[in-house]
Amino acid sequence: MPEPSFLEKLRTSAKTQRRFSIAIRLIIAMFLIIFSIFPVLWVISASLSPTGTLATQRLIPANPGLDNYHTLLSMQQFPFWSWFLNSIKISSITAVLSLSITTVAAYAFSRFRFRGRQTMLKAILLINVFPSLLALVAIFLMFSQVGDVIPFLGLDNHNSLILVYLGGAMGVNIWLMKGFMDTIPRDIDESAQVEGASDWQIFTRLILPLLRPILIVILILNYITTYGDFVLARILLRSNEKYTLMVGLQIFAGAQFQQRWGVFAAGALMGALPIMIIYLALQDQIVGGLTRGAVKG
Amino acid sequence: MKKLFNIISLLVVLSILLAACGTPATSTPEVEPTTAPETAAPSTAPEPTTPPPTAEPVEPIATLKIWADDTRTPILLDLADEFLAEYNVKLEVEDLGRVQDIRTPMITAAPAGEGPDIFIGVHDWLGALVESGLVAPIDLGDKQDEFVPLALEAFTYTDGKLYGVPYATENLGFFYNTELVPEPPKTWDEVLEIGRKLKAEGKIQYAFAMAGGGYENLPILTAKGGYIFGRDASGAWNPDDVGLDSEGMIAGVKFLADAVKEGLVPATADYETAHSLFETGQAAFLMAGPWALDRIRKSGVPYKVTVFPDNGAPFLGVQGFMVNAFSENILLAQTFLTEYVATEEFMQKIYEAGLRPSAFKSVLARMDDPDLVAMGEAGANAMPMPNIPEMGSVWSAWNNGIALATSGEQTPEEAMKDAANQVRALILGALAGMVNLPGSYQDKVGCGAQWDPACQATAMQKGDDGLYYLTVTLPAGDYEFKVALDGAWTVNYGSDGAQDGPNYALKVEKDGKVTFIYNPETHLVEVKFE
Amino acid sequence: MTSTPAPPAVKRGTPFQLPALPRLIRFALLIALDVAVFWLLNRLASLGYYPLMAAVLIITLFVNFVLIRREAYPLRWMLIGLIMMGLFTIYPIIFTVWVAFTNYGEGHLITKKQAIDQILDLTYLPSSGKAYSWTAFRSDEGDYALWLIDAEGNAYLAKPDEPLSQPQPGEMGVGPLDARGIPESIEGYRRLNQIQAATDRNLKNIKFGEEGKTIQIRSPSEAAELLPLYVYDPDLDAMINQETGVVYKNLRGTFTSPDGEALRPGFIEYVKFDNFRDFFISPALRGPLLRVVLWNFAFAFFSLLLNFSLGLFIAILFNDPDFPFKKLIRSLLIIPYTVPALITILIWRGMLNPDIGVISRLLYNTIGWSPQWFTDPWWAKIAILLVNLWLSYPYFMLICSGALQSISEEIYAAAEVDGANPWQKFWRITLPLLLVAVGPLLIASFTFNFNNFNLIYLFNAGGPPMAGTPTPAGHTDILISYVYNLAFSGSRGVNYGFASAITIIIFFIVGSITLFQFRYTRMWEEVGENA
Repeated sequence: MPEPSFLEKLRTSAKTQRRFSIAIRLIIAMFLIIFSIFPVLWVISASLSPTGTLATQRLIPANPGLDNYHTLLSMQQFPFWSWFLNSIKISSITAVLSLSITTVAAYAFSRFRFRGRQTMLKAILLINVFPSLLALVAIFLMFSQVGDVIPFLGLDNHNSLILVYLGGAMGVNIWLMKGFMDTIPRDIDESAQVEGASDWQIFTRLILPLLRPILIVILILNYITTYGDFVLARILLRSNEKYTLMVGLQIFAGAQFQQRWGVFAAGALMGALPIMIIYLALQDQIVGGLTRGAVKG
Repeated sequence: MKKLFNIISLLVVLSILLAACGTPATSTPEVEPTTAPETAAPSTAPEPTTPPPTAEPVEPIATLKIWADDTRTPILLDLADEFLAEYNVKLEVEDLGRVQDIRTPMITAAPAGEGPDIFIGVHDWLGALVESGLVAPIDLGDKQDEFVPLALEAFTYTDGKLYGVPYATENLGFFYNTELVPEPPKTWDEVLEIGRKLKAEGKIQYAFAMAGGGYENLPILTAKGGYIFGRDASGAWNPDDVGLDSEGMIAGVKFLADAVKEGLVPATADYETAHSLFETGQAAFLMAGPWALDRIRKSGVPYKVTVFPDNGAPFLGVQGFMVNAFSENILLAQTFLTEYVATEEFMQKIYEAGLRPSAFKSVLARMDDPDLVAMGEAGANAMPMPNIPEMGSVWSAWNNGIALATSGEQTPEEAMKDAANQVRALILGALAGMVNLPGSYQDKVGCGAQWDPACQATAMQKGDDGLYYLTVTLPAGDYEFKVALDGAWTVNYGSDGAQDGPNYALKVEKDGKVTFIYNPETHLVEVKFE
Repeated sequence: MTSTPAPPAVKRGTPFQLPALPRLIRFALLIALDVAVFWLLNRLASLGYYPLMAAVLIITLFVNFVLIRREAYPLRWMLIGLIMMGLFTIYPIIFTVWVAFTNYGEGHLITKKQAIDQILDLTYLPSSGKAYSWTAFRSDEGDYALWLIDAEGNAYLAKPDEPLSQPQPGEMGVGPLDARGIPESIEGYRRLNQIQAATDRNLKNIKFGEEGKTIQIRSPSEAAELLPLYVYDPDLDAMINQETGVVYKNLRGTFTSPDGEALRPGFIEYVKFDNFRDFFISPALRGPLLRVVLWNFAFAFFSLLLNFSLGLFIAILFNDPDFPFKKLIRSLLIIPYTVPALITILIWRGMLNPDIGVISRLLYNTIGWSPQWFTDPWWAKIAILLVNLWLSYPYFMLICSGALQSISEEIYAAAEVDGANPWQKFWRITLPLLLVAVGPLLIASFTFNFNNFNLIYLFNAGGPPMAGTPTPAGHTDILISYVYNLAFSGSRGVNYGFASAITIIIFFIVGSITLFQFRYTRMWEEVGENA
């Protein structure tokens, strides 16, 4: 019975056991990575292939080239870069403001006890469950009316779009944030309170630094959601130069994507880059393990 | 990263300050009053009654807003400068993507006063748009004769008015691979025959593939005698005559199902599949529209376009310019279309950019693209897509029926019978089967209005004897009523038992109960007083 | 303000006394806000936007309450969020509820006033009336004159409030005629071409000629002695045809004659519970509703289970500071989340295509068989779960990675001392504590998938179809895609009123599930309270 004894041996040494576990996990990782990036490789291949149809497409295209990217960036009606900047601007502002609203509100929910707290928490979740088919019509009409009075909050305006996105700040993310805050022991702030610190000081000086992983997670989630939205943006934005990238992609490349498959793929990939970069830059913050020390102290 | 984190913390702090101080970010309109009057004014400002001879060259006297698709936008933009220079009227062209993407924004924006003056659309939207009051009619005057009659007919609604200036038509054509098939087949059976032979030789996988459901396979279905809606005496579409289970339609679907069973057509109906198979030479035939010409040419497959076997008819779609009924410049918009768009020069430009047969006779006559010419021939007998709203009830049932028959889950007869019944149920709506007695008495018995064929309070109940009964309490007086089925006026019977006949007259001598008895065989109503 | 002390157990949540100056500033700003809102309300009212006005008013009252009353202190922390939620989440919901009680939809898109205006604009040519082609002339003062030519070729000059005249060139300042018989000039007036004339929005409303026989421009090519075709009678709420005398009464948003002839356009009208009634007696309910609902629950449940499990599995697998290539692996695993779903769903569609898709070809070449992902009901269901898994697991990976940080290592250390194995540690410590943070997100995810219209619609539009159903339905249709399909394929086109009613019904279903979950799965709430 060679196998059990081999396993036995492995288990005897903690170091070997760890290596074994890492090896297994690496193999699992490999399978997962294939699953996750195979379709994306397919998109990349489509974007590089000059004649893009599904049937003819191979993982390594016949005459790979950057034609599609070139077409994309040189199309007169397709000001890729200005849409790209619009998207970045809108998503960044939204992500940060939305995070602020969520965090502060979650703090109140986690630390204060007030009448209706439970009900409000449940209501927030319940309200977000409402199927939003007609919300689009309502929001369009609303901004069409507001715009008659306050022009900078009307249709075809980035301010309006950001405001609508902020409407989602009081959503499930409050629960996520509150859940995280609840695990931070309350004696931390109680002792600070004894020393005369205000709520405000406790929040900014003590709690906020401990929230870093979840802040980053919610920031990224906000960013991705906003960046990827084309439904609301499409309803509110009307002029070509104000479009976000997703609206632009949907309208132009997506217009006849069956005909311009490769161009669409190229646009989608370039559009995916900022999120990739943000994730790469911030992922250490998510799993930094920095918080433990602070809590212990 | 620390820096970024600090920035975020700072912003969080800022937002709390805002919260604590009580000035929500949204509520800063106190600077507004200065700007608002300025914006409110322009809506009434351009009054040409005050002659502005000095300011004229600076400010355009009017603006025409146009919603167009991505192909037509550049042409309209080219025109804009010229138009501004000549008439001092600004053209504001907004690109909404595909033609079909213009419909939904139009429906939300136009009633709110946010719509364009002119928009591009397809003729089969007329049902929804005209019924909703969103398009204004257009009078082409003498220019009418310069358009292809079928295109004008498509943009004419059931009220006889023209609601659009057509610029292009599109229909499917029959593509065949010239390397595999030297001579185009004359019948659909021949198509399969050729496919069978080539497949046996190992040259192809399939004869052709279904690119979708009803729309994409219509040339087969019509060749076998199938139809969707019948026409009434005046030639208008008749939504009561649903032809999905007509003999011809079933025969057409059976043809497809048999071909799938034999392996000559793939079971999955998919646009990409059908086109890819043809472009790679794996299928010998394809039914495709002018929108696919670009990609087929690029693929390098040797092809030709021709008319459909067995004189099969495709759908005809007509694109055109329409005028928003809520435009403040209706007259200008109409004039722009008749004077500027309905010209050979403009139509020629649209033709060159759009790769669609023109709806303008002289441009069509000079059409030099052989594929488009052939496609025009294939569409010579095309059936304009019905522009009545009921067409919206057809698509999913029809496509599902074809899918169920070709996958072998149901026989073609069963599948299409079900589909036709689904369409009928959808058209009649929730009140299918209701027998009602709308009349001038209805407001006395709890209906909100008179002559309401859908009022629950006067719906008749079926008795065991097969007759329908309704008993109401009426005050003395003279009344009139009629029989209406399915909660609508579409099918109604008069006092002679005939459809659309005259009203029944009812004299109630004294207050009391009145019982109506309706016989569904004779369509006559008997009235009994208590 | 009273100085009632806060409840004894609750020390937090009462405001510390602000110094006088900031408080003054706060009140000053509040007053400024109220003034601004007052102005805004005024403007909204003058434009007739009453629903929006009511919303702004309620929200402002709420803001005042929160900022003035001390007991509302905790709400100040979330005030901005609540305002946004009120405007952009709750207001649309109220709008939806309103729509559910109307006939809003294609055929009934405009208000009653708009419809009446349009119908009153309709004109008819009386039997004695004549039609002309027209050319407009304008004086410097902005007065108009029309040069009219009738069918017989007779020319007339028409001015407002003056009888028609037939001047020859030279008379009344009329200049020489051009080839089409139109004077090149009229004294005091400038000849306009069609476009110039059409730029005046008012031109169509000017009545030329003497009282009783006035001529109006009807189209770019025609002016005629027109009379209004309809008169509106507000008492009867009816339109009366002036030519035939037929009375068209308002019947659920359409002016309808006793013969059932309807005047276009229809308009938005309250229909009470009709939309709900239509749903409950519609063929939809006699149809495959039960099967659709079952699959809907299965889809939402399995989606959640699979997506969450894989996300959590990955998060735990690599929650190890020393794991090699950790960063790279995670970055690669997040990729599905970064590419817009719009395109990846279509890519999956293509990859699974049984004839030309890469996955099918691969399977066919290796094992000689490949599932019919689009025509077989079961494989279609599996395919949609698979695609949803691919789309969503990175989300759970992300939040689980974050939430795992909230679990103190001390707890694990203590467990290890007690001799717990990894399996026990996971079930006893990791999972329960993790659920504190992500439990509500699971509910949210469940409800999101319950209504995940986009995925179903983009991937296979609910297909493959079910056989023998009274209404069109597919094997992967979920409730919302199935009933919206019904609402959008009625004989009158898109019916928003019906769709809203259905939305509300679905909300009650999903809402009760959510509340149910609150009631019977309290674990996270309890843990949260004790922390």
